[in-house]
Amino acid sequence: MLRRGCLSLVPLLVLAGAAAADEGRAPPRLWIGTTEQWLQGLGIAFTVLDLILLAVAWRSLRVGTETRASRAWLLVAVGLVPVSVAFLASAHGLERSTTVASCGSCHLMTPYVADLQDAKSETLAAVHAKNRYIRERHCYTCHSDYGLAGTIQAKLAGLGHVWRYTTGAYSLPLHIARPYPNARCLECHGESVKFRASSEHPKEDMPDFLSGRTSCLDCHAPAHPKAKREAAR
Amino acid sequence: MSPAARRVFWLRLAIALAAIANLLALAVLLRGTPLIVTVYMFLGPPLFLLGFVVLVGAILADLRAKELL
Repeated sequence: MLRRGCLSLVPLLVLAGAAAADEGRAPPRLWIGTTEQWLQGLGIAFTVLDLILLAVAWRSLRVGTETRASRAWLLVAVGLVPVSVAFLASAHGLERSTTVASCGSCHLMTPYVADLQDAKSETLAAVHAKNRYIRERHCYTCHSDYGLAGTIQAKLAGLGHVWRYTTGAYSLPLHIARPYPNARCLECHGESVKFRASSEHPKEDMPDFLSGRTSCLDCHAPAHPKAKREAAR
Repeated sequence: MSPAARRVFWLRLAIALAAIANLLALAVLLRGTPLIVTVYMFLGPPLFLLGFVVLVGAILADLRAKELL
């Protein structure tokens, strides 16, 4: 049974490794999938392996055929493999929670995601998406601060969103919790020649942009389509 | 409950806790919606840890019963 369990890992690893780009273009030479796909594939493989080991251990206790080897496997199944499973599942879960698909899984976000993916839309979010100014994770990139503190803050905010969404503790139309900070725009645009040389960003106003006294959204709005009440639960 | 039956109970409890945590992890890996990820983050690793602690406790109790510790 154990051998069968180990063999079941092979197709999962092959699937994870061979997963190619899903955008209809040929993958680069020697493409073996993304880190995230490998995290997911390995995570599934380790989880299935652990469940098989646990089933074998449970069975050995039931029929009273407990041996030194089965006790060792029990230690592996409860003490060793879970370390890998916990790490891989946590890493995959945290990575996945930054995707547009994850944000869009909440129906309140449907109009925002639809606008983001609309090639005809001229909102700030859609312009960034369709021109690939941001290649992926559009929601997370613009709605989280940079650095470790920003990631932690975004995760805590996400936790609040899940809580409010699940319990229905929100009101429509949705509003951004705090004024949008310029720092998030300037992380990419701040040092760009195009931004610095633009006549619409005169040198004398630059301190106001950099300090956030003048919001980027004063001129570059709307970032998203107007919130709609129709998105009610 | 005999000492042997008690030992089997604790070992099964450790297995059950690890199995529940594994199922939560599998749910995250196959379908990581925000709710599933949140539930896993709060319950998964603590269940793994609890299962391991129960297993170590059962092993230590067994060794003590056999006067090896």
